[in-house]
Amino acid sequence: MKIVLDRPRCEGHGLCEEAAPELMHLDDDGELVLDREEIGDAEVPLASAAVRVCPVAALRLA
Amino acid sequence: MSTRIRRVVVVGNGVAGLTAADSLRASGFDGELTVVGDEPHAAYSRPALSKALLLDGAGAAHELPPATHGATELLGVRARGLDLERRLVTLGDGTELPYDRLVIATGARARRLSGLPEEHTLRGLDDALALRDRLAASPSVVVAGGGPLGMEIASACLAAGCEVTLVSQGVPLIGHLGPYLAGVFGEAARERGLTVVETGAARVERDAGGVRVVLDDGAVVEAELLVSAAGDVPNTEWLAGTGLAAGGVVRVDARGLARPGVAAAGDLAAFPTPYGPRRVPLWNSAVEQAKVAAAALVRGDGAPPLRFQPYFWTEQFGLSLKAVGYLPVDGEPEHLEPGLMRWSRAGVAVALNHRIPIPRLRRAAA
Ligand SMILES: Cc1cc2nc3c(=O)[nH]c(=O)nc-3n(C[C@H](O)[C@H](O)[C@H](O)COP(=O)(O)OP(=O)(O)OC[C@H]3O[C@@H](n4cnc5c(N)ncnc54)[C@H](O)[C@@H]3O)c2cc1C
Ligand code: SF4
Repeated sequence: MKIVLDRPRCEGHGLCEEAAPELMHLDDDGELVLDREEIGDAEVPLASAAVRVCPVAALRLA
Repeated sequence: MSTRIRRVVVVGNGVAGLTAADSLRASGFDGELTVVGDEPHAAYSRPALSKALLLDGAGAAHELPPATHGATELLGVRARGLDLERRLVTLGDGTELPYDRLVIATGARARRLSGLPEEHTLRGLDDALALRDRLAASPSVVVAGGGPLGMEIASACLAAGCEVTLVSQGVPLIGHLGPYLAGVFGEAARERGLTVVETGAARVERDAGGVRVVLDDGAVVEAELLVSAAGDVPNTEWLAGTGLAAGGVVRVDARGLARPGVAAAGDLAAFPTPYGPRRVPLWNSAVEQAKVAAAALVRGDGAPPLRFQPYFWTEQFGLSLKAVGYLPVDGEPEHLEPGLMRWSRAGVAVALNHRIPIPRLRRAAA
């Protein structure tokens, strides 16, 4: 599966990073960086947790 | 252990209920899962309602990705009663839903200042859509309530071209953020044209001309549209007779349990904090509580307790605030870098119009 970021929606809250620091982080400018876009089955729960916590639905799994 | 739990019922389909359902699955529960929610909508983002949704005509800002927990979702269905002895949730139509484990996540509703239909409140999606429709004609607006929600609504109304008066008990935001930040936001609000009226307890009443806000000194504030944002009331009526909701909140332990096998999470739950048992009715709080509670239901005492530090944000009058720690906070902050400040004794750090990773903000607060 793949994590997809809708960049214009992202407000840089970084709650996703707190949920899944292995997969994403905010850089020094507060822009979200997906460190891993392609993820394996084992990481789906982690990625889902990140997607769910975003209050502006800027992330999804495809 | 999880093999012995056959049925879990989650009551409430807000972010706490949704996260609990997801987390039950993530903790290995593969039995029958039912989610009961009285709103006819799929779970959505409530914080977006008073921010992007009010401003953006297209209006998808509140949508969340579809649920993946595979539960039977009974939406538009209200829970009416609970029998702890027999482990049954009674639905609006009298149907009884049996459970082995229960999650109570019915959140809260807006506290109203009157029973008048002209008094708008903003809690649900339908409220937000109705308000957005009304704002299209740029009516004059009076907002009753000087908390973060009242201020966000006032900000959105100004952006929609309305003339806005905010009636606040004391200085707006002072009880929520403390004097320093309340000052910063108050100034931004006035610069953008907000009229602020401070009062003691205000009333909402109707006269021939429409509804109006009556201040403690008898003065009257009138406008074409009245929106109140006077706090929230936990939805605990359906728990009557169970002893779970003494004082109008559901008290839980550090694992989110109100009783063995019965968890509560989100806006209605008071959990142990350094300041005693408290409700922390915020998005991130609901998410974290729900995760812990779901794990506790499935894994029992082996599950980790809640380790929680509040995270709060608001967007209004051109300011974007992110805060970690327990607010309000007294005194002046220490400025660490432009847009980043800290009250070290209180363990609070705040970013103002400054994009910063939350983990960094948490480190700054520590
Ligand atoms: C307009 C607005 C803006 C906000 N902005 C922010 C913000 O910027 N930052 C922040 O951190 N927090 C914000 N919050 C708070 C945040 O949205 C809440 O803390 C969070 O939504 C709580 O989630 P919950 O699941 O506990 O409750 P809710 O989201 O209220 O969900 C409870 C659900 O249960 C349903 N329900 C109630 N009774 C029953 C019943 N008897 N049977 C079945 N279903 C029932 C309700 O209709 C609701 O759908 C805001 C809230 C509002 C209203
Ligand atoms: S939680 Fe959402 S808004 Fe915040 S950084 Fe992540 S994707 Fe962006």
